[in-house]
Amino acid sequence: MSGGASNAVLSVRDLNVRFNSEDGVVHAVRGCGFDILPGKTLGIVGESGSGKSVTALAAMGLLPETAEVTGSVRLDGKELLGLSDKAMCRHRGNDIAMVFQDPLSSLTPVYSVGQQIIEALRIHHPGMSKQAMAARAVELLSMVGVPGPRDRLKAFPHEFSGGMRQRVLIAIAMANNPRVLIADEPTTALDVTIQAQVLEVLHTAQDETGAAVVMITHDLGVVAGMADDVVVMYAGKPVETGSAEDIYYNPRMPYTMGLLGAVPRVDVADKASLVPIDGIPPNLVRPPAGCSFAPRCPLAEEACLQGEPELLPVGGPEESGALPGSGAHQAACIRTDAVGPGVDVHELFHAPPVPVSCFDAVPRQERRTVLELRDVRKHFPLTKGSLIKRRIGTVRAVDGLSFDIREGECFSIVGESGCGKTTTLLEIMEFNKDQDGEVAIGGLSNKAASDARTRGAMRRELQMVFQDPTGALDPRFTVFEVLSEPLENAGMAKPAVRKRIMELMELVGLQPDHVNRFPNQFSGGQRQRIGIARALAVNPRLVVLDEPVSALDVSVQAGIINLLDKLRAELGLSYLMVAHDLSVVRHISNRVAVMYAGKIVEIGHVDTVFDHPRHPYTRALLSAIPVPDPRLERTRERIILRGDLPSPLDAPRGCNFATRCPVFAALPAAKQEKCLTAVPPLGPEAGLQAGERAAGPDQQFACFFPDGEIDADMLVFHEASDLPDLRSTTPRTEKMKGTP
Amino acid sequence: MFRYLAKRTATYLLMIFLTTSAGYFLAVSTLQPALLEQERIPRPTPEQVANSFRLKGLDPTLSPWERYIDWLTAIVTRWDWGRSPNGALINAEFGDRVWISTRLFLAAVVLTLIIGVALGVYTAARQYKFQDRVITSYSYLAYIIPAPIAYFLVQLGAINLNDTVGERIFFVTGISTPGLDGGAWVRFVDMLAHYAVPTLAITLVGWGTYQIAQRQYLLDNVNADFVRTARAKGLTRNQAITRHALRVSFIPVAQSIAFTIPAIFAGGFFAEKIFAWPGVGSWSIDAIALQDVNAATATLAYGSVIFAIGAILADFATTLVDPRVRVQ
Repeated sequence: MSGGASNAVLSVRDLNVRFNSEDGVVHAVRGCGFDILPGKTLGIVGESGSGKSVTALAAMGLLPETAEVTGSVRLDGKELLGLSDKAMCRHRGNDIAMVFQDPLSSLTPVYSVGQQIIEALRIHHPGMSKQAMAARAVELLSMVGVPGPRDRLKAFPHEFSGGMRQRVLIAIAMANNPRVLIADEPTTALDVTIQAQVLEVLHTAQDETGAAVVMITHDLGVVAGMADDVVVMYAGKPVETGSAEDIYYNPRMPYTMGLLGAVPRVDVADKASLVPIDGIPPNLVRPPAGCSFAPRCPLAEEACLQGEPELLPVGGPEESGALPGSGAHQAACIRTDAVGPGVDVHELFHAPPVPVSCFDAVPRQERRTVLELRDVRKHFPLTKGSLIKRRIGTVRAVDGLSFDIREGECFSIVGESGCGKTTTLLEIMEFNKDQDGEVAIGGLSNKAASDARTRGAMRRELQMVFQDPTGALDPRFTVFEVLSEPLENAGMAKPAVRKRIMELMELVGLQPDHVNRFPNQFSGGQRQRIGIARALAVNPRLVVLDEPVSALDVSVQAGIINLLDKLRAELGLSYLMVAHDLSVVRHISNRVAVMYAGKIVEIGHVDTVFDHPRHPYTRALLSAIPVPDPRLERTRERIILRGDLPSPLDAPRGCNFATRCPVFAALPAAKQEKCLTAVPPLGPEAGLQAGERAAGPDQQFACFFPDGEIDADMLVFHEASDLPDLRSTTPRTEKMKGTP
Repeated sequence: MFRYLAKRTATYLLMIFLTTSAGYFLAVSTLQPALLEQERIPRPTPEQVANSFRLKGLDPTLSPWERYIDWLTAIVTRWDWGRSPNGALINAEFGDRVWISTRLFLAAVVLTLIIGVALGVYTAARQYKFQDRVITSYSYLAYIIPAPIAYFLVQLGAINLNDTVGERIFFVTGISTPGLDGGAWVRFVDMLAHYAVPTLAITLVGWGTYQIAQRQYLLDNVNADFVRTARAKGLTRNQAITRHALRVSFIPVAQSIAFTIPAIFAGGFFAEKIFAWPGVGSWSIDAIALQDVNAATATLAYGSVIFAIGAILADFATTLVDPRVRVQ
């Protein structure tokens, strides 16, 4: 890292990027530097605004012309900065390629996938024959696991799902066997099972071409599984670099430590509070005088404000000279001695104690039911024709859902996008007596909700917190107006409203004298706190949380999760949460339901379901989630599901998961018949091997063959490169096979 | 594709029938040509008027429904759209008028589109530079100035030019010089001299709309993610824009083009009046002034047909440039 390894394929030195903005010059990247060796993976992690994407775009020469870029980016020793757009084009897509975040908008909608892949070939190999280019395109598509590559060449991007489009983008990036592949949040927009597929594809692509990969992400789990070396960026500067193991097991910069402590883990039942990092990253219009993290750092002292610390090698004799060049552990902190494996991150960042609710001691059966759903259905007709609508099918968005939520508990629904989570929430909020199925809120049933008064009473029992805190608040309302609206609506007197608002502000951890500010004067985390205060204003008993933290950065997310935990305990609230992040779900929930294609496939106590999943879908989902632990992540077996959610048009007659089921694929044909013809009921022990393993008392699943053997083709694990004794006989990567 | 077009055509035929029928009822119950006859000198007796109208198939004593049935039967069986109060056959008049309108606008529309779209692309590529500011400001100006005033200004310019040269180069009104003798070449030059001023005027006023639209849609796409992907493959910025952004940005423009062409053909009232080209646009206004039921309905029907053609053209254009709406 420091000296600059001579064999580095890409080396970045002292990179600085400045943008002109209305507020002044934004110094987005302030002296970034790293080396990548061929075939290795470098992870760049950081929160939004830390400059990680700008660094990548600067290396690719894709920043707008108005950006001022200084420093050095060398590809195989050749300087790239300062090359003209035209000269840079010889390298872009040829030696250095990039995969972007949003696969849905990254392909040109009016050209076929084949045309777009072939274009990448033709630019750099103008002499290549048409047949050769088409053959190479087919080869690329099959490498990234697009089924039926020859026919799919003619397909247009809109005929592909998000995951498939990201594969196509990887194929385009790999077309000319680049030496360096930069992947900028390549899986952030995708579901976990699709994320696992795409990460596999990246592995395969790297193995086949020996490219160096720069993996840019905010997800510490993804980096743990992919990266050899890691750069942690904060406020436009690397603050800690080292091997993945150094960073994860021996972080020496308080920010890295806090970041690791802020991430909930899907594989750990331990109920400790998450580590919140107070404050927000600095504004890069004014360069910080001292350490950029000092205002948020619990260890900050006078010396931290005297000049920015340099990246310096850390630690004792065990690290010195461990690895030449890249991979040496460095941190930009003058107090590295006060941080280390022996320090408890919870203590360091003053994480709050785990809140205890008065309901925790009461057995579940004895608590009151707050919400009960009985056989709720929502079917949308699928029609064709413009004048006379012909019904050609039914989308079973929600198909017979039953569950209940007791006082003081958090119940979560998880599943991939399109599984019916949000429709379920909308059905609950509907209060319509003509609804299919019954929704009872605090003892009031929707069947009785004919008049506005009953509906008002139900509405007061249940409030909602939305996913996007910015979109959910009226930008022209002050916080006071946002909070007073529900109170006045409930008929509260003016002085009482004022008092209640002050109470609420304090409750959610905002300064009461900020009530006259507008939402845009708050950070994302603070806006979500306003959203929570708004929901709590009328003292509901049940709060519906629709992806409450998915729009927030990791360090901010931890604060919100802690707040939700605290409120649940203090106010005796119940939560119904919908989230796609299973780590968050595990951390905050008591019970969980896993949904697939409109049905609950597994439901029960969160620890039981997560530690002993019975349904193959739950098993696949859990195995697909990356864990921020490099050693575990590299040796973990992973079930990679094939394909996407089935189209509602050809909904299967039997179990609707059979088309993608890894257990089904391994079953003998005689047993497969059962899955294809009968719908498995949701029950405590529907399997054949009853009694083989006693299911937890609170767990139900809908599968005929729980704990079945997984098809070997769908099982993937990687040999840990630095743990050669483990599984040294297995092939390096079991390549994924496309769906036939 | 063919089936889809056939289906659309059937839908539009029904719509044309409905609008035309409604238009006929409106015209027949409000327009009273008999009142105009009263102003003639010597004033005809009511019996004379009624008699003459009955012979032309415009009998005011029949109920609107009976007249509608007669009118419809004549069109369906003989393709006869009736007569004007002065006895002229609508069919004959109509053919001449459509041909005049078409000749007046054809060249202008083609020029408008080509110049508008080309300038849109040119200015989008030079956003906020000098050329962009000048051209886009002009387009907004052309947008604001009422068309008749702009036409007059162009006419004045042509007259000034004629005066300066001291010889009549351009005709500012009329279709051709009446009673012109001479060979094909003389007649061709005469036609050009008549064509130049209206074509120039309509083009200058027209292309602003397309320039603004094309510039806007292209700018929306210049920084799109897929343009970045194209650049990451190794295309220069300009190549990426012309190969990827341009085609996507043309989708909405293609649609608006298909819809505006027919609108111009059917309704260039100001241009026809100012340049004295008696086309369909001025005819439709005159028909109302002259209480001419059949002519008013015929122009309305022509407008609907032209609009339907435009809508089908728009569908067709969109399908051509956008694979997402291609029908199986």
